[in-house]
This record gives sequence, C-alpha cells and structure tokens, in this order.
Amino acid sequence: MPFAGFNMPINYKTGIINEHKNVRNHSGIFDVSHMGQILIENNESYLHKLEKYIPLQLKKLIKNRSHYSFLLNKDGGVIDDLIISNIDIKDKSYLYIVYNASRKKEDEEIFISCAPNAEKIYKENCLFAIQGPDSINVLKNIIDIPNNMNFFDILISKYNNNDIIVSRSGYTGEDGFELSIPNESAENLITHLLKNENTMLCGLGSRDSLRLEAGLSLYGHELNEKITPIEAGLSWALDKERLEDENLNGNKILSDQLKNKLSNKKIGLISTSRSMLRDGMTLFDNNNNEIGKITSGCFSPNLNKSIAIGYITSEFNTDNPIFCEIRKKLELVKINNLPFVKKNYKKNGSKYE
Amino acid sequence: MGANMSEKKYTKDHEWVSIENEIATIGISNHAQESLGDIVFIELPSVGNSVKAKDEICVVESVKAASDIYAPIDGEIIEVNNNLENDAAIINQDAENEGWIFKMKISDSNQYSELMSEDEYKQFLEQ
Repeated sequence: MPFAGFNMPINYKTGIINEHKNVRNHSGIFDVSHMGQILIENNESYLHKLEKYIPLQLKKLIKNRSHYSFLLNKDGGVIDDLIISNIDIKDKSYLYIVYNASRKKEDEEIFISCAPNAEKIYKENCLFAIQGPDSINVLKNIIDIPNNMNFFDILISKYNNNDIIVSRSGYTGEDGFELSIPNESAENLITHLLKNENTMLCGLGSRDSLRLEAGLSLYGHELNEKITPIEAGLSWALDKERLEDENLNGNKILSDQLKNKLSNKKIGLISTSRSMLRDGMTLFDNNNNEIGKITSGCFSPNLNKSIAIGYITSEFNTDNPIFCEIRKKLELVKINNLPFVKKNYKKNGSKYE
Repeated sequence: MGANMSEKKYTKDHEWVSIENEIATIGISNHAQESLGDIVFIELPSVGNSVKAKDEICVVESVKAASDIYAPIDGEIIEVNNNLENDAAIINQDAENEGWIFKMKISDSNQYSELMSEDEYKQFLEQ
C-alpha cells in the first residue's frame, strides 16, 4: 500500500488481528523508517527560533528524556505532532525529533529555517519500534538497556559497534522501544530480534488499531492545521507558561481556548452492533441533527467491537443517544472514555530539569 | 461434470458460484478473502428477496474495508449461511466451501454460463 511516498505493508502473513494481539500479549516489531528523524544542534539561537513553533521550554529539556509535542501554525493549529528529545551524540548536544512521514516537507521547511545545519538522519538511519510487554525481554539480550530506563527515557546504545538511539516509547499504548539504527546494521538487528519466536513483524494495520485502542491521535485524522492541541484534547502536552509567551505561534488563541468552552470535543465511540465505524462517517442526535464526525475507526481486537474517535459539538449532551450513519442506516453508538484499552507504560518522569 | 452438479464459476467482483439442481451457492473467492484480510462482520442478505445480477445485496466488513457483495445472476435468495453471523472469520479460513454466503434459486442459467471458469478467473487475476 502506498503511504506518504513509501510502499508499506498493511500486514504481514498472519494478519492484522493476530499482529495486534501479539503486541498486546507479547511483542511485535514495526518498521517505521518512513518517519522523519532530524538532529538539531542544541544551540540557544536555534532553540529560540524553534520555540515559535514548539510549545515547550526547549532550553530546559532534561537530557535523555523525550516529550510529545507539536509544530504549531499562527492560529495554534497543528502542523504536525512529534516526539522531541534532548540527547548527546559523540559529546555533542542535540535535539532529536521524530515526525510524521506525511508532513516531512512542511516540518523540514521549519526545522531548516530555524537551524540551517539540521541533519535529516532518516536517509542513513532506519527506525524500528518494538512494542508490547515482552519488548524488554526480546531486546535486553541484544542491546544494553539499563534497568532504570523509564517510558520516554532515551539514550545512546551500541549494536554491531554502531551507535544507535534507543528510546523507551512507541505509539501502541504498550511498553516498548524505538531504535534508530544505521542502515548497514538494520537488517542484522531485525533478523536478530526475530530469532525470538514470540515476536513478529507487524504492519500499518495493527499499528493503527493499537494506537486507536490506546486513544492516541493520528495526524490527518484527529489532528490537522485547523485543529489546535486543546481542541484535540491534548492540552496536557502544552507548556502552560509558553502560552503566555508572545514568541509562540497562536499563544493568545490557545490561552483563550484554555479558559473558555470549546465548540467541539473529542470523544471515543464504540459500536453496539457488528458494523464497523470508519473515518468520515457522520454522527447524529436522536432528532437527526448532525452533531459531528468520526475521524478514525477500526475493529478493536481487544474489545471485539468496532471503536472510533471523533469530534462532536460541545453543545450536545452526551447523556443522549448518538447515532452513526453506516451505509445509509443510522446505528446507535455508545460513548466510551478514552483510552479504550489501559496504557501499560513503565512509569513517567518529570518534564524539566 | 454431471447434469446436476456444475463446475465452480467466478465473477469479476471476485465471487464464486456453483450450481446444483438450479440452486446457486455463492461466496467470495479465496483471492478476495486474502486481499480483504481479517473479516470481522458480514451483513447477510434477506431470504426471500428477488435480485438482479449486479445488485448490491450484502456487505462484508474486514479490518481494512467494507466491501459490497453483488448478486452474480438474477434470482431469489433462498438461504443464508447463519454460521457467519457469529463467526465471519470462517470466510478467511475456507472462503470457497464452509465460507459460502448465500444460496439463490436462479432464473436464467445462461447468465451462469457467461461467468468465468476457474482458469479464466486465474488469468483475470494475473492481468
């Protein structure tokens, strides 16, 4: 399947549901080398310029920690969501940013305008995610992982004498790791990991159903340039002090949104029948008034039902029934708190030094 | 082939049809099952409905997409595979036998002869 200019497998031989369950119960490996990876020198003038777009205090980021954040446009809309980390590579301090393949052009224009010598490393480095409760056991015999490494910790380790970037992170709601490894060692690493027969390669299909069960947003679905992080229910990821800072794009709009009632809210939905909820379907109240739309939908292997994320108008009282138009018929759907499946991370640390 | 039991034929919509005593049994091809991936739900057609060839009569939902099932020929739906109601994955396991979807009493056997043979369908898939 073509995806952001790459040919990506939806699934490997055992199918989406099997891959999904293997990640929840054991572990699975995703090749996410299509994603953007960039290194930006930890230099005060670069950071200041980047702070126009990124709602964090970049100068205070703790070394060896990662953060979920965004690039914001002038209206506070999301240009992209990303993971940003502060790491040293060969005694030099960098921000390491991982961003969406579908947004490379937009993101890199910003990165390069802020830091002309930023290094796009995704041409030389593959990126693999190993996800699931057994990830640590699959990985620890192959790569040195300290016992006290927590979720969103990041460090440099070694494989085949190559430096690799190891972060304890991922986008499935499970414990897991992302590994940025030079291309020449990438195949060896995958072959090595797959020697463990409890793990398997997983495709885009299970990646989507896992992130949806975990209630995680996906760019182009829950997030776009017309939606702010606050409207997307992600205000926890914004540094509130930065909202007072004129240097941050959309800071006034965002701080107003925090104080006032939003026009839309993000909700989780679960099907009451066997029908599948899918992106783009329209939601109605019991008087046939349109109240919102689904932005992502899938079959949830854990709940054995279809689940979805969508936006509805805040005026709608969620005690009332919601209907989804599925193939020209209205079907009752139930609101379900996000996430659908509890996250299983190894505990979080603090944000700043 | 005997007079009562026909060879299995295929449509361009990746359905198979076999006919016994003027009753057609219809399902999706193994190729269709493979490309749809895990099938999670099927909305079965209503028994008693008279349908024309190419009518959309029911829907198969897989983890990847919903896809319409068409009547391959004119006729009346006389039976559906209720086992699929609880376990649509039977189609993934055995699309061209246990995974049959519905049976029709057919009105025009000429329509059946016009469908593709297994070899023709294989060639069609390679195109």
